[in-house]
Amino acid sequence: MVYGRYNRLETMPVDASIPQDLESLTAALEAAEARLQSILQTVPDAMIIIDEHGRVESLSATAERLFGYPKSEVIGRNVDMLMASPHHEQHDAYLKRYLATRERRIIGIGRVVTGRRKDGSTFPMHLTVGELQSDDRHYFTGFIRDLTDQQLTESRLRELQSEVTHMSRFMALGEMASTLAHEINQPLTAIANYLKGSRRLLERMTGEEARVLREAVGKAADQALRAGAIIRRLREFVARGESERRIESLPKLIEDASTLALIGAKENAVRVSFRLDPALDLVLADRIQIQQVLVNLIRNAIEIMSEGGQRRELDIATTSVGDDMVEVSVADTGDGIAPEVMARLFQPFVTTKRKGMGLGLSICRTIVEAHGGKIWVDSRQDGGTIFRFTLRAAEGGEQSLVE
Amino acid sequence: MSSSQIVHVIDDDIAVRQSLAFLLSTAGYAVRVHESAVAFLEALPGAQDGCVVTDIRMPGMDGLELQRQLRTLKVGLPVIVITGHGDIALAVQAMKAGAVDFIEKPFDDDVLLGAIGSALDRHVHDAERESRTAEVGRRAQSLSERERDVLAGLVAGKPNKIIAHELGISSRTVEVYRANVMTKMRADSLSELVRMAILLDSAL
Repeated sequence: MVYGRYNRLETMPVDASIPQDLESLTAALEAAEARLQSILQTVPDAMIIIDEHGRVESLSATAERLFGYPKSEVIGRNVDMLMASPHHEQHDAYLKRYLATRERRIIGIGRVVTGRRKDGSTFPMHLTVGELQSDDRHYFTGFIRDLTDQQLTESRLRELQSEVTHMSRFMALGEMASTLAHEINQPLTAIANYLKGSRRLLERMTGEEARVLREAVGKAADQALRAGAIIRRLREFVARGESERRIESLPKLIEDASTLALIGAKENAVRVSFRLDPALDLVLADRIQIQQVLVNLIRNAIEIMSEGGQRRELDIATTSVGDDMVEVSVADTGDGIAPEVMARLFQPFVTTKRKGMGLGLSICRTIVEAHGGKIWVDSRQDGGTIFRFTLRAAEGGEQSLVE
Repeated sequence: MSSSQIVHVIDDDIAVRQSLAFLLSTAGYAVRVHESAVAFLEALPGAQDGCVVTDIRMPGMDGLELQRQLRTLKVGLPVIVITGHGDIALAVQAMKAGAVDFIEKPFDDDVLLGAIGSALDRHVHDAERESRTAEVGRRAQSLSERERDVLAGLVAGKPNKIIAHELGISSRTVEVYRANVMTKMRADSLSELVRMAILLDSAL
C-alpha cells in the first residue's frame, strides 16, 4: 500500500543510476517515504495532501493540531470535513471543474477561507494549494496558515482606533465648548454690567420714558444672564459626559496606545524604546482618554521627527513620583519647540503645525487635569522635546472595591 | 462706607474691567481698574483700604498667585474672585487661599454688589461669618464619620470614584453619603457645600 501510494509522486527521485532491482527500489521508496514523513512532522504550517477525489492522503502534525483530528480520523476521508460552508458542500464540484477545465481559481493563488475544527468551531485561514501530477493521477497539497490571532489583532486595533477617534472628536467638541464658553462669557459679562449699570442710572431719572427704558434695559440684562446660564449648562453637560475612571493597567494602556500611534512609524524610520518601571502597574484612569493623550503625544513626536534630522528616537517611560503619583514621559529627538511657543503650548488654538486646530495638547491638558494630574513639556539637552504627565496610582488588589 | 474705600478691579479683558468700573460707579463706589495682577501690585502702596475684585485665569500672575502675594505682603484687602471658567476645584483653591467670595461670570449685579458690600463692611462681615459658622457647625455635628470622610473628599475636589476608591466603598454608596451630606448641611449646590466646609475649616 505504501508503494502503491507513493510510486507515482514526482518528487520521488527517479534517476537512471538507480538500480532497477526490486530490493534497491524498495529501499529508495522507503527513504522517500521517510523524508516525506519527516517533512510532514516538522513543517511549521499545516499541510494536507489530497487525491483527485478529495480524499486525504496524508497531513502534517500541525494540521492534526490545528483541526483537532488525529491522523487516523482524517486519512482516506473527504477533505471537505475540514471546511465550513459553502466550501464544505462545494468542494467536490470544485475538484471536478478543475480537472475538467484546468481553470485555476485557488491553485498557485491562495486565499482566505474558513476552516472547521473537530469540535465544530470555525476559524479564518489562509490556504495555498499546489498540484502534483504523476502518470494519470493528480494530487493536491494544501498549505494552511491559521489567521485567528492575526484577525483578532486587526479587529482589536480597529476597535481601539474607532474608540479613540470618536473620543477625540468628542473631546475636540468639549474643548471647543469650554473655550467658547469662556470667550463668550467675557463679552456677556461686559454687556450685563453695562446694562445693569444703565438701569441703576435710569432708576434715578423721572418720567414715563425713563421708566420704560429702565424696564427694557433690565430685561436686556436678564437675557445676557440667560445666555450665560445656557453656556454654563452646556459646559457642565460636556464635563459630565467625559470621564469614566477605572483602575487600569498602565503598561497595557501604553502598549495599546503605542500600537495605535505607531502605525506607520516604521516607514518614518523611528526607533522606539520603552522603559516602563515594572513596579508601576495600576492607575486610576479613563482608559480611552488616557490613550488619547498618549496617542496624541506619540503622533506629535513622530510627526516632528519625520520632518528631518538624522536621529529619530522615541522614548516612552514611566516612573514613580511621590507616594501616589505615576509619571509618564514621551521624548523625541526632533528639532524642539521655540521657547515663545513652549509657554503657550497647552492653550487652545496654539499650534506649530501647518494643518491642525491647535486643540490636541489643550485637550491633553484638560484630560490630565481632570484626572488630578499635571502635564508639562521640557526641552532635552541634546535636542528634542520631552512631554510628561502624571496620573494617580491605584494600589494593587483593590479592583473589587471599585465598580 | 468711607470715602477712602476703593474697589480694585483686575481683569485682563478690557471690556470686562471697564464695564465693571461703570457698574460699580453707578452703585456709588470709587473704582480703580488694573489690567494685570502685577500692575495692581505695583499700584498697591496707594491702595490700603477697600477690596479687590479679580479674575482668576489671567496670563502672567493668576488670581490664586495674587492672593498668595497679598498674604505674603500682609495686605489685608478682602478678595472677591470672578471667573468665566467655573469649576469646583478652582473655587475651592480660591476660597482656601482666603477669597471672601467666588462668583461666576456673567453675574447678576445684586450678587456682586452684595459681595462687595459685605467685604467692605468688615464688622458686619465678621459678625455674619461668626453666626453662620456657628450654624454650619451645628449642622456638621449631625454628620456621621463616613459622611465626614465623603465631605472631605468632595471639598478636596475629588470625583465620586476617587473617593470611593480611597474609602474602599462603591461609588454608589458614595453617592448616597453625598446626598445625605447635602441634606444635613442644607446645601443647595456643591459649591455652597464647599463654602460651608471651608468656613468650618478656617474656624477650627
